[in-house]
Amino acid sequence: MTIMMPASDQAVLDRRDAIVADLRAIVPGEGVIASAAEMLPYESDALTAYRQPPMVVVLPETTEQVSRVLKYCFDNGIKVVPRGSGTSLSGGALPLADAVLLGLGKFKRIREIDFDNRVVVTEPGVTNLAISQAVAHAGFYYAPDPSSQIACSIGGNIAENSGGVHCLKYGMTTNNVLGCELVLMSGEVLRIGGKAPEQAGYDLMGIITGSEGLLGVVTEVTVRILRKPETARALMVGFSQVEAAGECVARVIGAGIIPGGMEMMDRPAIHAAEAFVNAGYPLDVEALLIIELDGSSIEVDELIKRVEAIALGCGSTTCRISGSEAERDLFWAGRKAAFPAVGRISPDYICMDGTIPRGALPRALARIRELSEKYGLGVANVFHAGDGNLHPLILYDANKPGEMDKAEAFGADILRCCVELGGVLTGEHGVGIEKRELMPHMFSEADLSQQQRLKCAFDAQGLLNPGKVFPTLHRCAELGRVHVHGGRLPFPDLPRF
Amino acid sequence: MDTLKAGDAADVEDAVRAAVAGDQPLEIIGHGSKRSIGHAMTTDAVLDVSALNAVTCYEPHELIITVQAGAPLDEVVSLLDSRNQEFAFEPMDTAALLGVRSGRGTIGGMIGAGLAGPRRIKAGGVRDHLLGAHAVSGFGDGFKAGGRVVKNVTGYDLCKLLAGSWGTLAVMTEVTLKVMPKAEAERTLVLRGLDDVTANRAMTAALGSPYDVSGAAHMSRTALEAARGALAVLASTGQAATLLRLEGIAASVAHRGAALAAHLAPFGAGELVEGAESAALWCDVRDVAPFAADGPLGGWPVWRIVCPPASGGAFGQALARETGGEVIYDWAGGLLWAALPSSVDVVDAYAASLRRRLAPLGGHATLLRAGEELRRTVDVFHPQAKGVAALAERVRRSFDPGSILNRGRLTRTPIS
Repeated sequence: MTIMMPASDQAVLDRRDAIVADLRAIVPGEGVIASAAEMLPYESDALTAYRQPPMVVVLPETTEQVSRVLKYCFDNGIKVVPRGSGTSLSGGALPLADAVLLGLGKFKRIREIDFDNRVVVTEPGVTNLAISQAVAHAGFYYAPDPSSQIACSIGGNIAENSGGVHCLKYGMTTNNVLGCELVLMSGEVLRIGGKAPEQAGYDLMGIITGSEGLLGVVTEVTVRILRKPETARALMVGFSQVEAAGECVARVIGAGIIPGGMEMMDRPAIHAAEAFVNAGYPLDVEALLIIELDGSSIEVDELIKRVEAIALGCGSTTCRISGSEAERDLFWAGRKAAFPAVGRISPDYICMDGTIPRGALPRALARIRELSEKYGLGVANVFHAGDGNLHPLILYDANKPGEMDKAEAFGADILRCCVELGGVLTGEHGVGIEKRELMPHMFSEADLSQQQRLKCAFDAQGLLNPGKVFPTLHRCAELGRVHVHGGRLPFPDLPRF
Repeated sequence: MDTLKAGDAADVEDAVRAAVAGDQPLEIIGHGSKRSIGHAMTTDAVLDVSALNAVTCYEPHELIITVQAGAPLDEVVSLLDSRNQEFAFEPMDTAALLGVRSGRGTIGGMIGAGLAGPRRIKAGGVRDHLLGAHAVSGFGDGFKAGGRVVKNVTGYDLCKLLAGSWGTLAVMTEVTLKVMPKAEAERTLVLRGLDDVTANRAMTAALGSPYDVSGAAHMSRTALEAARGALAVLASTGQAATLLRLEGIAASVAHRGAALAAHLAPFGAGELVEGAESAALWCDVRDVAPFAADGPLGGWPVWRIVCPPASGGAFGQALARETGGEVIYDWAGGLLWAALPSSVDVVDAYAASLRRRLAPLGGHATLLRAGEELRRTVDVFHPQAKGVAALAERVRRSFDPGSILNRGRLTRTPIS
């Protein structure tokens, strides 16, 4: 592990046996896991390059248990790391050696389906896909669809403000969540929002969403569901130049067309995906766009014609239009399998996640190519072209000394490039530990201080998921007084990672 | 009272820092068009940001616009219109409802108030379209939130808090908003003569259909008669009207209009209103034209009630019956505008009872239009549960510990 985490509290570690016993009194039976072997599955999330066994794993089943566990930890100064399904790609659920890992996996019940109000009330451990499956019989679905939707939990989606290919048209998690039951670090249980379209007062749901488990633990969620469009069809369009594909994306949006999804892959990704799933992707192109249009059949037919004409105007070399659901699924199959497909052509890879303005796409790709040469590492690009969210996959071999460090440096350079082009460090994977040290590249000390003051409003002792998102530890009382001006660093004696 | 006119963001920082140093709270205004909303402020000076009115960057192909917070809303809307784009959430123009001069209101005020129009049911609210902001906290520190791209999960989404915060967290100086292409065509299906509860069911059925309804509103005959513009035309038949809007490319709108009419046939035969005539109807719905300050119901206090959409009809119908007031419905029943006739004492009683009855539904009510005397008596903004209110207050203090910004606007309870 090359990244520093907060120093462990030896006094807490010394009391481990007593803490485990106390937690067992709150969560009986198999709800507390304390043996090293049984805790192994929890020592990382999907950012597996970083691993750390937790002090103890607690798997509560009720809100009351969550509340009591948090209150106990609050009263005893014990850190807590919340975890959903563990599919985070940024280390958001990486344990700490002296912290309780609080798994919400047993919160698996959909509590209510309310078609009249077009909402589902669910527990946080329910998977994203299970929500859509539960309402599919009535023609409804839950719109945000992260690629991990078969495994990722809705609670984790809230923590990370997850997205997916439908986000361009239907928004991210934050645009589709109406309320939650939230347990604060103090153990206090609050209800934020609900079935009404807006909540009273400040938009607390908006700030909880995407807060990466640093503000509270969600034990119930109310999400919006939508009626499925009448139909969806997809185009698969190839280009001999990446720039032409980028231009096509810009022209589609400029023409006032908002596709249900608009994804791009570059040559290495196309070849890897085609070898993996035989989707019929053209292998003689530099970039492939998959553009899905949804709505009424008449609308989709018309928009397909318009998009096809735009693509031709941009110099597309191939264009196939799905004629059936099976064919549409096939177009997507390669894109959805792109990550595992690339895993077959390289021993290891890092999946990056930055966003840029759509118009900056050619410049970003050119820079990534330069960096690839500089570091001597291959890269395959898969991205949500419609909203500028890049996923460069940096290929390396962890068994070759120094390659992982090179890959990480390459990734950091890509993210810095995203910010310099007017974009951001992360579009959907979160900051976690992965991009923590890059936060000052996007935010000033004053920006970060304001975010940390907000954290203090929820968790004044800083016990919930410390070491994530922010590169510098601050004590709340000091943040309340400090004014940061002229870039001077306050309290240089405070611990920094 | 002193007025500090900021020329740029640095002026705003200086003004807030001076106010912090002297513990002199500031009222933040753009055009001041929404000053009559909320409680009377206990501020010593006015910080006017209307001179921060430039459009910094408009990139139609990126679907974003960056503007200073004091930019006039109508000018920005005109600029977007010139490129056939718009704010998809249909920002409400409060001029008619509050009786202020038309065309007033700034982008900052639009965000601070967070009042979205009919398309909120499809496109989301103001909070869903604010991508980034530069603002000055109550510490006097300029800070940045969010960015200028749609997909962004870098750090806390502070923009969500700024939207609808009524200027109590920070003074916005520049914001980036998502814009969307305007629909090529629109068509409104009008159902006639439904009572509020039945209309609510019709709207629920419409929103549960695959026809992509982008507006669902209902109003009684008397409400239609109280409006002067496009809605008044609908009053000619002497019946209530339920409006369902479809937008998109022309062929699709025609197709879906027919399909939706067939889907809702159990509620009666609908008539179709198209193009500019349809657009005018929805402007009136958005701006609550039946309750215009210079109209027949202009003297009545007006509540803005948000509740689970399928509950709206029954709640509103009971409220109107018991009070003799008038209720109109937007957001398929999720947004009720209620004009209730009465004295201060009676409204005080209404406030308690309507909020009590909203509680089990998970709804909330804001007294959006009322005289000063009434606003001193009644909680304008919906009181929150104790724990949530305490958290919200801690959140507020994390931005503005000295309560320098718009002190007193949100609550009648003095901040200690």
